[in-house]
Amino acid sequence: MAKSDDGMRILQGLLVFGNVIIGMCGIALTAECIFFVSDPHGLYPLLEATGNNDIYAAAWIGIFVGFALFALSILGIIAVIKSSRTLLLVYIILMLITYAFEMASCITAATHRDFLTPNLFLKQMLEQYHKPETDNNKDKWMSEGVTKTWDKLMLQNKCCGVQGPSDWQDYTSAFRVTHNDADFPWPRNCCVLDTQGSPVNLDGCKLGVPGYYNSNGCYDAISGPMNTHAWGVAWFGFAILCWTFCVLLGTMFYWSRIGY
Amino acid sequence: ALLPYVPRVPPVALPGKLTATTFALERPCCVFDRHAAASDTVWLVVAFANGEARGHAPWGWGRGDPRHGRSARCVPAASAAFRNPPSRASVPRYAQLPTARSYMIPEATAATSACSSPHAAVLRVGGDTACGDRGGQDPCNGPLPSPGPYRVKFLVMGCQGPKAETRWSDPILLRTGR
Repeated sequence: MAKSDDGMRILQGLLVFGNVIIGMCGIALTAECIFFVSDPHGLYPLLEATGNNDIYAAAWIGIFVGFALFALSILGIIAVIKSSRTLLLVYIILMLITYAFEMASCITAATHRDFLTPNLFLKQMLEQYHKPETDNNKDKWMSEGVTKTWDKLMLQNKCCGVQGPSDWQDYTSAFRVTHNDADFPWPRNCCVLDTQGSPVNLDGCKLGVPGYYNSNGCYDAISGPMNTHAWGVAWFGFAILCWTFCVLLGTMFYWSRIGY
Repeated sequence: ALLPYVPRVPPVALPGKLTATTFALERPCCVFDRHAAASDTVWLVVAFANGEARGHAPWGWGRGDPRHGRSARCVPAASAAFRNPPSRASVPRYAQLPTARSYMIPEATAATSACSSPHAAVLRVGGDTACGDRGGQDPCNGPLPSPGPYRVKFLVMGCQGPKAETRWSDPILLRTGR
């Protein structure tokens, strides 16, 4: 009897510890997902214009799941200390539901990351940047979002196009319709600008003289934050799920061993 | 006088040296020193190069570019059929490019093509987008209407007419976007 009591005490202690970790991870997950949803790099309009912003949906689910994990961990601690079968049953059921949501969020983030290729952003940039006339308000607002985002991207990261300025020469684009090739081989923001926002040497920029234009592509500046976002949600989520799985198993075992 | 200099696109890797409507050329330095006075102007002749012709192309002035052989069977290249204009007033303008298939751009005075002048090393053909708006009366450097290919040569014009010319360049084909 004493040995079984000791065993149960140890199991209780482990379960409380496990729930404390789940609670802390839940808070961390909420904080991480709020950070991603706040879009510090301003890339959301690009993602929205691709029609596939599921990594944002995954981050939103992550916020609520994190909070739910925190609340459930408190319930779990109380239930284990009081050794109450009903509370433990409620805990197990709610935790399984939360588990399912978090699994969905992680898988979504992991798989939709593969959708974000250079060609996707190139096509979008060529079709939407400075698009002259649009069919309806939604299109207009989307192309304005893309235009503003690209202008800000090229200015802040000192880059041009997706792979480089030659993107504007190698492919036809909506930009070319309103901006003639002789004056604008590439957009003005591809030029090195002074503090007032005008090109340091416009002729040098049009020719592509090193030092007067941005020769790098912007793909790294786009994919870097998006990858961090997607992997952050996916892999931290998977780590929490592994731990929660163990704690759930332990809780179910504990539930089966205690009396009413 | 025919000078052996061949105009060319600068070999340096500049992404803007060939675009859809413009191209860049190395400026000839010190090429005209012995043949031109300081007040003469150096012009750039731009002509379509497709339809290579094999046949005589005698020039009005200077020794010209002899292409001996069979008489022409296909459409004569504008660059082969080009005749140096006798005076500044009869210089073909930018607006005449579609019909005459060649035109001339005022480049610089011979003084600025001298060795000592600190001029830019590259000339951009097609950089003046206001060309064509001014009624096409003055010679100017407007954007090229088609991908070409084009051939160019430099021509020194004095008060009495052409004084010296360089060879025709290799055909220059502009970019087209996909």
